[in-house]
Amino acid sequence: MDAPLAAAIFLATYALIASDRLDRTAVALLGGLAMIALHIIDQEAAFAAIDLNVLFLLAGMMILAGILRRTGFFQLVAIRAVKIAAGDPVRLLIVLSLVTAVLSAFLDNVTTVVLVAPVTLYIARSLRVSPVPFLISEVFASNIGGTATLIGDPPNILIGSASGFGFVDFLVTLGPPVVVILGASLLALRFAFAAEIEVHAEARDRVLALDEREVVTDPRLLRVSLAVIGATLVGFLLEGPLGLGSATIALLGATVLILLARVDPVEVFSEIEWPTLFFFVGLFILVGGVVQAGLVAGVADLLLRITGDNQAVATIGLLWLSGIASGVIDNIPYTTAMLPIVERLGHNGLQTEPLWWSLALGASLGGNATLVGASANVVVANLAARAGHPISFRTFLGYGLLVVACSLAISSLYLWFRFLG
Amino acid sequence: MTEEARQARRTTVAATEGLLAIPPLLVGEGDDIVEVLQRAAAQPQTRLIGVVDAASGRLVGVIPVVRLVEAVVARVAPELAMAELADAEDVARFGHDVETRTAADAMLPPAALPREATLEEAYRLMEARGLSGLYVVDELGRPVGYLDLLELAIVYLHALEAGGDDPAPGRRPAS
Repeated sequence: MDAPLAAAIFLATYALIASDRLDRTAVALLGGLAMIALHIIDQEAAFAAIDLNVLFLLAGMMILAGILRRTGFFQLVAIRAVKIAAGDPVRLLIVLSLVTAVLSAFLDNVTTVVLVAPVTLYIARSLRVSPVPFLISEVFASNIGGTATLIGDPPNILIGSASGFGFVDFLVTLGPPVVVILGASLLALRFAFAAEIEVHAEARDRVLALDEREVVTDPRLLRVSLAVIGATLVGFLLEGPLGLGSATIALLGATVLILLARVDPVEVFSEIEWPTLFFFVGLFILVGGVVQAGLVAGVADLLLRITGDNQAVATIGLLWLSGIASGVIDNIPYTTAMLPIVERLGHNGLQTEPLWWSLALGASLGGNATLVGASANVVVANLAARAGHPISFRTFLGYGLLVVACSLAISSLYLWFRFLG
Repeated sequence: MTEEARQARRTTVAATEGLLAIPPLLVGEGDDIVEVLQRAAAQPQTRLIGVVDAASGRLVGVIPVVRLVEAVVARVAPELAMAELADAEDVARFGHDVETRTAADAMLPPAALPREATLEEAYRLMEARGLSGLYVVDELGRPVGYLDLLELAIVYLHALEAGGDDPAPGRRPAS
């Protein structure tokens, strides 16, 4: 009786989350609590299923990004990028996208694209071109860049915690294919958008007049923030020798920054995305209930039969399944649901390492397919529309499918040669 | 609530507007934003600009002076505006400001009441919209006057004084 009931709760919850009709955090919590209320899982086991490493790592990074955001850092970097590009629109497209990708690898994607956007909107207006090509490229770059590190994207944080892979593992394994994917995507977009971003030479002088020093609101806080974030990243690199978990390192960095920055802790903590954290809580309990009911074992066994127990088929299949699913539904609930399945596949004899990396690449890169595939996409689409430059679902889809197909193809080759060949 | 306060709330807009002799400031939808700002600078006491349809004279929007300033700052000193951006909402507004060229681009939905509306209704509207004034319109929606938040406050102040409210310690009550 438990299994069908658990399946029904799970599917109903995910369907409601995907429909976007109700607040996703409330839905996820309700689904998780339903698992407890209907005795599919008891409270103790439910709370044990909540991965505190994920929650505290997220919270720590949110605090760091939130304080850095106050300094004008993102706008400063974007204006510097504009100057490096010397006002040339094609170079601007590439440089702003590269900046977005690098920042997204280490800081929250949404914060990065939102705070690079004002510079983008301003320069596009000054150059008398549409900002849409730049915004779309930046969104793609943020999702691709975020794939490269443990902290770049929530799915990677989930996978890192479940697999035991650390910051260095992610950087070393996913960094190289991400660089290639980013390069290939920018090359494709450069040609796709070339006609839309032609400008007259005199328009370029206007954008070069921007003064990046004027956007820095607190030079001292900027220096302190960068120093602490830098130290935190070093901490991630040394987490193995230090014997510390990534959540501890992130929280340590956040706490030190709160103290050194002399900012009001109440304000800082109020900027934590509590709905996101509770969304994770709901999902963890929900999936915990599904595991308890024995459904994961069944699904994993089915997948094993479908793939013929073949490592290569399972790995590449998981990559494309994840890529396609993440384009349609939120990659956080998708990844959360896949974690116990991958673990189970490992118990059944498959090597989990290629599967984890396959899941990481697919879940993060697939978000570029549609306007609703990732949080950064949705946020940028909303602000572009309000700024008078709507991005249609269809327009985004055309470019998104191209980028995702390219990304997954490169990822397939990489996984093949690295783990399966 | 005192009887004076009740009366103050029921006082009509028609009886109140004009207390401070603040004239309406009306512009056309297609008027350039720089021209609008110049006219606002020449009439600084009017903190809410009315935008009218050229053909019918109907009020079609309002522009708070601060919004006008934000639009100009976004063009002239964008770094200043960019530095204050904290979230997607701020960025969307900045993006809109960067594109603002005419009164129609900058305007908000109209904020207006008929002459027979009460001060209570006027206050609620200003509070809900975060505005410091509103336009008085006729039955065709055409502006016939302007009510500033200060004029409304003066009526309530008179009610406070007439109601014999206790003065601050050490101070004599107003005569």
